[in-house]
Amino acid sequence: MEYLQLVVDYVLGLGSQVFLPLVMILVGLLVKMKFSEAFSAGLTLGVAFVGMGTIVGFMFSFISPAAEALVENSGITLTAIDVGWAPLAAIAWAWPYAFFMFPIQIAINIAMIALNKTSTLNVDLWNVWNKILTAVMVAAISGSVAMALVVGAIQVVIELWNADLTQKQIYNITGIPGVSCPHSMTVFGVVLNPFNKLMEKIPGLNANVDAYVLKEKIGIFAENHVMGFIIGNLIGFAAGYSWQDALNLGISTGTALTLFPMVAKLFMVALSPISDAAGEFMKKRFPGREFFIGLDWPFLAGSPELWVAAVLLVPVTLLFSIILPGNNVLPLGGIINICLVVPLLIVTGGNLIRMVVMGILASPIFLYVGTVLAPIITDLAIETGTYAVPAGQLISWAGMEMPVFRYVFSRAANIINGDFLGIVMLVAWAGLWYLYVKEFTARNKKFEEEEA
Amino acid sequence: MKRVIVACGSGVATSQMVASKVGRLLKERRVNAIVDAVDIKSIDTHIKQCDAYIAITAPTKQFNVPVLNGIAFLTGMNMDKELDKLIEILKAK
Repeated sequence: MEYLQLVVDYVLGLGSQVFLPLVMILVGLLVKMKFSEAFSAGLTLGVAFVGMGTIVGFMFSFISPAAEALVENSGITLTAIDVGWAPLAAIAWAWPYAFFMFPIQIAINIAMIALNKTSTLNVDLWNVWNKILTAVMVAAISGSVAMALVVGAIQVVIELWNADLTQKQIYNITGIPGVSCPHSMTVFGVVLNPFNKLMEKIPGLNANVDAYVLKEKIGIFAENHVMGFIIGNLIGFAAGYSWQDALNLGISTGTALTLFPMVAKLFMVALSPISDAAGEFMKKRFPGREFFIGLDWPFLAGSPELWVAAVLLVPVTLLFSIILPGNNVLPLGGIINICLVVPLLIVTGGNLIRMVVMGILASPIFLYVGTVLAPIITDLAIETGTYAVPAGQLISWAGMEMPVFRYVFSRAANIINGDFLGIVMLVAWAGLWYLYVKEFTARNKKFEEEEA
Repeated sequence: MKRVIVACGSGVATSQMVASKVGRLLKERRVNAIVDAVDIKSIDTHIKQCDAYIAITAPTKQFNVPVLNGIAFLTGMNMDKELDKLIEILKAK
């Protein structure tokens, strides 16, 4: 174990931008890529890391002074800067045990299909990083890497079951056959479900709104540069900046939010050959078997309700970040909270009014778990040399996938240190899961009857 | 050079995965084209500068360029048919 620790320390010392390309080239050769292609993919990964670090650095260069001015001018002390998912994905991949999650996910999925425990074949290997982020949280809270990998494995199972459960509802929304959505964000529906059941009984909350017209009107606010510009300006004004400085802060913020996904694309370019090869490998195992192909969430992105709800919830999140006691997250990069509106869409079956009302109720959860995550993820970023974070400031994410699952399972894993409250939370979560399974089993039966 | 766009919710993950794959497939079939991943929220801007659009969602409105089924490239079902259709479009204009 001591020897392993030495190896891990040495590897970490290299910095993620050197270490991960090396791993990537090795994995590439293992799945029989040509050396030149594996080498190029590996280097692309390194470039993605340095690129992401550069933009995070750029963002701190103007957000740090703005956050300080915000404290002086208004007394709002929020030191955890929400950088959104892209820089978080980079840090997650830099966790020394990250690549273990690939074989874990593939092996569990194949075993579950072979044993008829799921009908979803998850070919979305990009979102392996979702499990890595969970594992990072578990490892930090419980101090145990073994527990982290176990919870990661549990997440794989829950994601697959959830994909099976929601497949018919999602087909009903999108009309796209043969696919399901094992993305971890949809698991948040477990928490939303009882509220939805309750609200279904309240008249007035079930009216149908034509989201399409609304989306045409306010859809522009969901674009990264527009939202960045607006939030940057708001922070500037609250910080007492002159209007010239506020406008500058707005443009700079818009720049950072536009560049994040552009750099994140490089991660995908690097990982896509391996992800493709692994997907083919999995499909080949079961020739002639019928199953749903598990995809990343964007095939749901055609629903206008999603974008309308996301934009309407922006001011709500901003307001909560200021008034909620104990919140430390300054919402920015993750302000368009996809990980909230996608499960809302599925649970409500696309009812915009219920989506927004429940979205308001659920928003604080994301800020609080983001506050818990901040020191953990900042430590990892510094340890792995991924980003330079200015002293006194933290990085976080205000819109992460499955915040409740992550927090509850991290605390539950902490039982190894005598933390019993986590087990209580785990039991409560299991109760919610039971209700959720019941609800979706009933819905599926209804969908089947409608089909027949 | 002909340009194909693929759109998804972030312009990063799914769309880039499909774009990389379509790029590889076109190269294998010796068809020259640029395949770019874009953000679906900015689709109205990108659609003006492309020759074909590969959609991952069920499109809700009409566009002036041919629209192809991106799910086929993700699942592998009917992929060859969609690829043939794309090549025909790229060669035609």
